Amino acid sequence: MKPILEIRELKKAFPITSGVFRKSAGVVTAVDGVDLDIRPNETLGLVGESGCGKTTLSKMILALEEPDSGSIRFEDVDVVRARRSSLSQVRRGIQVVFQDPFGSLNPRRKIGSIIEEPMIIHREGSKAQRAKRVRELLEMVGLHEDILPRYPHEFSGGQRQRICIARALAVNPRLLICDEPVSALDVSIQAQVINLLVDLQKELKLSYLFISHNLSVVGYISHRVAVMYKGRIVELADASALFENPLHPYTGCLMDAVPEARPKKGLNLRSPRRGGVEQVSTDLSSGCAYRAWCPRAEGICAQETPVLEEKGDRHYAACHLAS
Amino acid sequence: MVDTDLIDRKATGQAAGDLRHTREPDDRDVLVDIQDLCTYFYTPEGVVHALGGVDLRIGRGRTLGLVGESGCGKTVLALTILRLIPEPPGKIVRGKVLFEGTDLLSLDQTGIREIRGNKISMIFQEPMTSLNPVFTIGFQIEEVLMLHQSHRAPTRKQARELAAELLDMVGIPYPGRRIDDYPHQLSGGMCQRVMIAMALACRPSLMIADEPTTALDVTTQAQILALMGELKEELNTSILLVTHDLGVVAQSCEDVAVMYTGNVVEHAGVEDIFSRPLHPYTRGLMRSIPTVEARRRGEQLHAIPGNVPTLRDMPKGCTFHNRCDEVMDICRRERPPMFRPHPDHCVRCWRYANG
Repeated sequence: MKPILEIRELKKAFPITSGVFRKSAGVVTAVDGVDLDIRPNETLGLVGESGCGKTTLSKMILALEEPDSGSIRFEDVDVVRARRSSLSQVRRGIQVVFQDPFGSLNPRRKIGSIIEEPMIIHREGSKAQRAKRVRELLEMVGLHEDILPRYPHEFSGGQRQRICIARALAVNPRLLICDEPVSALDVSIQAQVINLLVDLQKELKLSYLFISHNLSVVGYISHRVAVMYKGRIVELADASALFENPLHPYTGCLMDAVPEARPKKGLNLRSPRRGGVEQVSTDLSSGCAYRAWCPRAEGICAQETPVLEEKGDRHYAACHLAS
Repeated sequence: MVDTDLIDRKATGQAAGDLRHTREPDDRDVLVDIQDLCTYFYTPEGVVHALGGVDLRIGRGRTLGLVGESGCGKTVLALTILRLIPEPPGKIVRGKVLFEGTDLLSLDQTGIREIRGNKISMIFQEPMTSLNPVFTIGFQIEEVLMLHQSHRAPTRKQARELAAELLDMVGIPYPGRRIDDYPHQLSGGMCQRVMIAMALACRPSLMIADEPTTALDVTTQAQILALMGELKEELNTSILLVTHDLGVVAQSCEDVAVMYTGNVVEHAGVEDIFSRPLHPYTRGLMRSIPTVEARRRGEQLHAIPGNVPTLRDMPKGCTFHNRCDEVMDICRRERPPMFRPHPDHCVRCWRYANG
């Protein structure tokens, strides 16, 4: 099936400035040549540690950040070069749910007007139609319409996240970017929101880009998972294949580090005292960016930057040594 | 309000009695023994029962994991042990915190100051904000050593040497150079190592760690947990690890206490809690952890219905009854005391009233 979102060779670097005159002191490459497809009705999980470029990537998809090079196509519209009218079409098609449900709802507006706002911006329907739609949306996310005249501070984290989801769905998007949507929630509430997202996907045929650092959540909700490291996708595969047989050493390291809710399974740790130290003096501008930490690194890793290649059945990894 | 309070007192009184009876024979080496601890906050909107009669024991050289959702009173418990609750609005209403035999709640200000930092130290969730940005990390560790005279590090020079040793102990590379760094020059994981170095500077017998790895990436988290485990063995320190992550508990604790709405609802060894959770809340928590296998089997995630009640607006009887799928009549009326269905396994649930 034709992908709903196609990302090709996307790059974005931010300049670092220093001193009074904001002199340029180099660049940080946040996203470094990313290729990704999201198919209709699919959840693509994106995992990686903080600072690996997950959020920059999602901002570029939302046209909130302009890439340095590369292309993003959403349903045949070029997001990067889109003009006002087609950009508004893109923004209607792609909506977003953020991590912090406390910071992403305007505290001075009532729930009803918060959920209605996207429809007003995109000039949808009459006032009566919008009011009807708001009530439908609330029902969809499992909230009662009594809450319409209330304010965000009256709700708990889980309820607020439901409100954020209702707002995102107001303009019938096809793709929902969920940027750590359950990280700020308690375990028992987290499960409610995950179930809601799974149900909504079935009902509305949505696609999700599900960004998280929590591997077990990503593993549960995603069909395919992409692992990001220092601005690159280092592994991409079906969720079950990735978790059963991680090919990239970094993916393996990430999985070993997740504390499992089973006692005495034993964490597989890089030596906590000396190894895994964040500062490494090697120049990592060429070759594999992970080689300084990689237990299997060889000569070739320092010379050539590995590219994402198909190593197994629809299982891609960017590693010279994976097979 | 009044009658729930009465029931509460009755129930907790019962619980304490109940526990003490069975306690004597297996009295292992207990470092901290918390009995019927109540901390209330007096707010304009009413009295908030942040801790409603907590019973808890921490063994010497052991790690106790304190799990629960936000607002269940985990942090208030940690702060109450160190008497850091702001008064007013807070007040430690009753109970005992026996630490090496002395009741911390009966000490005067000088007495408790002797304990803080020396015998009991604390590390917080946000390593970046817990360090002072305008002083070097070396200076901040030296400060700890010089303030707590028990360590007898009177000169700055000696303190500096000790600080470098501590940095080396927590696995910071090139401690001699790093000692002059400011907090912003270090990553989150490194800052947390510095916090641990400060907390261990005076070789305390108890370290309270309030969500020490929540703000860190998984790989860094694994390192910090391993480091804490190693140092615990080396220094024979007990750790009270406050967290909401059951995975962290499973991997790094020997004992577990589950808190819900200001009370410990289940208390047992880590193997017991995970293989045989008794309280419906604990069981619900365990089942709500997502896994890849569950999805492949097409299972829906088990979610505990409803929300955590706010401490201001607590249900009568068992505070979990309106979210519980095994609710009985008595749960709606009376708050359950702590039952002990197995020798080392306590649970606050009416289901176990008959053993």
